[in-house]
Amino acid sequence: MKQPLLSVADLYIKFSLRGRVLTAIRGASLDLYAGETLAIVGESGSGKTVLTKSFVGMLDANGWVDAGFIRFAGQDLAKYRGDGQWRTIRGKKIAMVFQDPMTALNPLRTVELHTPLRGMAAKDRAIELLSQVGIALPEQRYHQYPHEFSGGMRQRVVIAIAMSCSPQILICDEPTTALDVTIQAQILDLIRRLQTEYNLTVIYITHDLGVVANVASRVAVMYAGEIVECGTSREIFYNAQHPYTWALLSSLPQLGIKGQPLFSIRGTPPNLFAEIKGDAYAPRNSYALEIDFVKRPPCFQVSPTHYARTWLLDPRAPKVEPPATIKHLRAKFVEGALCK
Amino acid sequence: MEEQALFVLAERDVADAERSGYSDYSYWGSTIRVFMKNYAAVFCLGLLIVLLVFTMVQPYLPAQRDPNEIHLSQETFRQLRNVRPGAEFWFGTNSIGQDLWARIWSGTRTSLGIGIAVASWNVLIGIIVGTLWGYVRKLERVLTEVYNVLDNIPSTIIMTLIAYMLRPSISTMVIAMGVTGWVPVSRFIRTQVIIIRDREYNLASRCLGTSTGRIITRNILPYLVSVIMLRFALAIPGAIASEVFLTYIGLGLPLHIPSLGNLINEGRQLMMIPVMRYQLIFPSVVVSLITISFYVMGNAFSDAADPRNHV
Amino acid sequence: MQVSKEVLMEVKNLRVEFKGGSKKPFVAVDDISFKIYRGETFGLVGESGSGKTSIGRAMVRINEAAGGEILFKGQRINGLISKELDREVTQKIQMIFQDPMASLNERAKVDYIVAEGLYNTKAYQSEAERKAMVSQALLAVGLLPEFASRFPHEFSGGQRQRIGVARALVMQPEFIIADEPISSLDVSIRAQVLNLLAELQQQRNLTYMFIAHDLSVVRFITDRVAVINRGQLVELADTEDLFANPLHPYTRSLLSAVPIPDPALEQAKVIIPYDPQSHDYAVHKPSWVEVTPKHFVLGNATEIQEYRQRLA
Repeated sequence: MKQPLLSVADLYIKFSLRGRVLTAIRGASLDLYAGETLAIVGESGSGKTVLTKSFVGMLDANGWVDAGFIRFAGQDLAKYRGDGQWRTIRGKKIAMVFQDPMTALNPLRTVELHTPLRGMAAKDRAIELLSQVGIALPEQRYHQYPHEFSGGMRQRVVIAIAMSCSPQILICDEPTTALDVTIQAQILDLIRRLQTEYNLTVIYITHDLGVVANVASRVAVMYAGEIVECGTSREIFYNAQHPYTWALLSSLPQLGIKGQPLFSIRGTPPNLFAEIKGDAYAPRNSYALEIDFVKRPPCFQVSPTHYARTWLLDPRAPKVEPPATIKHLRAKFVEGALCK
Repeated sequence: MEEQALFVLAERDVADAERSGYSDYSYWGSTIRVFMKNYAAVFCLGLLIVLLVFTMVQPYLPAQRDPNEIHLSQETFRQLRNVRPGAEFWFGTNSIGQDLWARIWSGTRTSLGIGIAVASWNVLIGIIVGTLWGYVRKLERVLTEVYNVLDNIPSTIIMTLIAYMLRPSISTMVIAMGVTGWVPVSRFIRTQVIIIRDREYNLASRCLGTSTGRIITRNILPYLVSVIMLRFALAIPGAIASEVFLTYIGLGLPLHIPSLGNLINEGRQLMMIPVMRYQLIFPSVVVSLITISFYVMGNAFSDAADPRNHV
Repeated sequence: MQVSKEVLMEVKNLRVEFKGGSKKPFVAVDDISFKIYRGETFGLVGESGSGKTSIGRAMVRINEAAGGEILFKGQRINGLISKELDREVTQKIQMIFQDPMASLNERAKVDYIVAEGLYNTKAYQSEAERKAMVSQALLAVGLLPEFASRFPHEFSGGQRQRIGVARALVMQPEFIIADEPISSLDVSIRAQVLNLLAELQQQRNLTYMFIAHDLSVVRFITDRVAVINRGQLVELADTEDLFANPLHPYTRSLLSAVPIPDPALEQAKVIIPYDPQSHDYAVHKPSWVEVTPKHFVLGNATEIQEYRQRLA
């Protein structure tokens, strides 16, 4: 078994909001292996951003790691306190790229001043980085302000900044949501290229399953602060086990038939201030078992790389077929398995 | 194992999931609740109410003296000048033998009256002009020009000029401070309006044919409640400070109308004599209490009125 | 869907400008023409900054048209129009906005938000009737009438978007412009809103203009699509026709980039880049040509020739 580069176990992250405690992450466990691309999928509020922010100590001031550990390079990041400690990790070992490049750049500084490097060698390095992220004429661009760049170019600059300290892990939080599809493809290609060049490990946070299909080698599906299913990209797309993953896949308009209603998840995500009993997804789940309302499901192993938190995988559970709409995605999996 | 029995598909109405978190939310109710949680602000509010009520009832309390009466010694018939605070005169007397206790409460009454009147006027006019300036595009050019003219005349000059021309009185003070006092308020409101006027919910109202007046009262102003309240709360001590300033340059109220400005001005002249400093300290403490209280309360209220804090 | 040949909405040579101070006005769209038939869902697809939102906003008259005409049932509705027509158009043409977090008045109760249009048109006799109309609109979008007494911030994104739909519905519109109505919603919520729009269209014979950048959604919901690039229409066709036979290089590029939620297909996908310089319009100006019935494309004579050959 490969040794994980970063390992999260039973992590709880809480926030205190006006005297009440919100549990944003509820017992998430996740391993990240060197060189892979992990996509974390989930709705807003599912905790995907909070989870990754805890890897770089960027939780908001009212948030804290309540339990569990984040093991990285022989250290437990969950025990880190204060910026002094975090500075050895943040940006240097683990860097982050955000959704909106404009908020990540200071509008009053030229690109030159955004790079954390100084001196002549630094300039050369910065220009080299800019050309590596695909910015034409980097010597001139180097002296320009963020507003002189298009959205896609700004995101490239942000990526160049993130790469400037040669991190091991790059976390991309919805890096292409604000961009047009054609630009989106270019940015994804760029990250892929950097990944092979620098042997980067990349975590994508996204809600776009198209992006996931494009980049991910492994996928973790999050719901209400826990990872409900995790597996290789193929396992998630072609052999999903959790009803929430089924629902996500079957509500895609790409799989819809014109003139017929799309599958839709009813209801709203649970209130994270309240204590959640049993399976958080149960009230919205049309495949829910009675036990889902009573007891939290454990992780069931489907394959060495694939696990899901659903009682449906318990041997005592009734046999449930996934919805018909995702069948043809599944058919491909069977086909692929036969070819092997 | 009894768990076994639970492995059956649950027969529950999935539509129930739609009925999430019912609550009796009311905007003002939540505003007050959040405000009440800020103890410092509640304390300041209490202090201000006590102060206000006390200035109102003080003259009717027993054993109170007239603020303008000059007290004479029974034996010598000389003025009881600069008597130090004691059992007879709680806050002492001033340089011509008037009771400082009575003068301070009378002065606070006058000054608070001036402050509230001026602040209400300035904020009211500021809101009207500011929203029209910010929202009605046809008026933008004209009002910007008017603003430029008014803003380029230093308000101190206008204030002194008016105080100089008219006879010193409370209404003169109010007019002097109200003539241009609304100008910065209107500019502030205009900026706030411009920030929110093109938000989607306002476009939506325009699509529905909502009139400009209704958009202003239902869409724009409710969003500005918190900033307006802060502005109003700060305008009151601001006006009191202006009154102190006008008195300081000699254009204040006549001496027979005690005001905090008058009292501080009198006290200031005795500042260098340590034993008489009480004449400056008492009114200054009152001004400070009023200013700090309004400031703390205004900030707390503006936070409380922001629905993002109503969680 | 009963798509008739009745033209409900027509845009002729529309031009929208934005004046930025003393500088030359910025032209958002120029010379845009298209027709929308009663009962159909017309898609308008383009990237950010293409001008698609400006067209939609000109049609609901939030933006002024700097040139050209907008016709509703054959009557011009831009520029100066009579009070009666203005009232009719306000009622009959409604809009659904992109961001449900920004498009509802946070300080008003759902009751007021949904009834806002009613207050303006006075389309009710009594307070009881108004309340009933609000309840009906809420039920129509799958919300409970008791929600009327709550404030928007108590609702999730999908619910808020449905409140936005209810607000438009209560006006009894004939034509609804939906400006990216689902792009800021979570994936799991998008289907709810799409289904709702489709259902309402069937029940009430509504006509939609669906503005979007996400082609997979457009393919699912629209009958005809127009592709816009840098303020100009480049192609317009029946949806299936456009997806099967994209002609303009920009359309082809856009289609090639659509994300596919399937790792095998997505990773095998080849993106066709679009180079605006590839058109040689120096000598031969492009024109708007119907290449095959109902399939329009922008191109000069040589290009049109080429497109025809490709289809043959």
